[in-house]
Amino acid sequence: MAAREKYDEAQVVEQLHDPKQCRMAFGKVIEHYSSQLYWQIRRMVIDHDDANDVLQNTFLKAWTSIDNFRGDAKLSTWLYKIAINESITFVNKKKVMNQLSIDDDESFLVNQLESDEWFDGDQAQINLQKAIATLPEKQRLVFNLRYYDEMKYDEMSEILGTSEGALKASYHHAVKKIEQFLGETD
Amino acid sequence: MKREDSTIKQKYGKDAGFKVPDNYFEDFNKKMVAMLPDVEITPVDIKPTMWQRLKPLAYLAAMFAGVWCMMSVFSHITASSDINGVRAVAEKLQDDKSNVEDFMMSGAVSDYDLLNYEDSVAMSNEEYSIDK
Repeated sequence: MAAREKYDEAQVVEQLHDPKQCRMAFGKVIEHYSSQLYWQIRRMVIDHDDANDVLQNTFLKAWTSIDNFRGDAKLSTWLYKIAINESITFVNKKKVMNQLSIDDDESFLVNQLESDEWFDGDQAQINLQKAIATLPEKQRLVFNLRYYDEMKYDEMSEILGTSEGALKASYHHAVKKIEQFLGETD
Repeated sequence: MKREDSTIKQKYGKDAGFKVPDNYFEDFNKKMVAMLPDVEITPVDIKPTMWQRLKPLAYLAAMFAGVWCMMSVFSHITASSDINGVRAVAEKLQDDKSNVEDFMMSGAVSDYDLLNYEDSVAMSNEEYSIDK
């Protein structure tokens, strides 16, 4: 197996703006970020096929607007922003398709989890996903980024455009609501 | 310090139970690169120029040069004002010295000269009374 080339973000960003190297450089970006973006998207849209579609859209959007990326922000921040926006747009479209209000929570996504062939969790994990699905959109995002990715608040703040204090408060409320939901379910 | 989410972590862990098909990411990466449409990329040299790299150092050097200039001007002003002060004191002392010398000079008039002076005054008085 060939050794994987070391990923150098500064060099990749430079290559992304060189017409001769941009495609190759974006290939490196896909290789480096596909997994972490996939899991973030998956926790938002729950279903594997949906996550696959949203991930494709994320990279397509990033690729077609690569000219606008000037390297002022971190590439990861920029990609996470696109991925989160694409996930939210997707979930809202799915709500409309299911004749739900945009203000309804995402519990309908979790209901199909038991029949998902790409889910092998137990009932406890289903319950946790149900609890997360009851959270408002922002709290859900913050919870997923912090709990599963252990993302630092300053990085989260750049992605979500919210102050660190507000994010900490959001996470605190999310944890309390989840504990309450799980307490009632158990 | 106990994290606020530790209760959830203890009971549910960090594995959400989601999985992906075998070799999903390898296949996805290949497919994704293949489906990228042609886009027009404007060549941008986002490499910092030599000036952009050296700018902070240049600013720092200019700041130090400014501080050095200010210090040297300040010390020059202080030094020249010191010299003027010393000069004024020296001149004053010189004046004082000349007064002292005058005073000393007065001390140089001998008693003999004074007697001669008195004698000459007395003789001229006598001459004045005879003429009368």
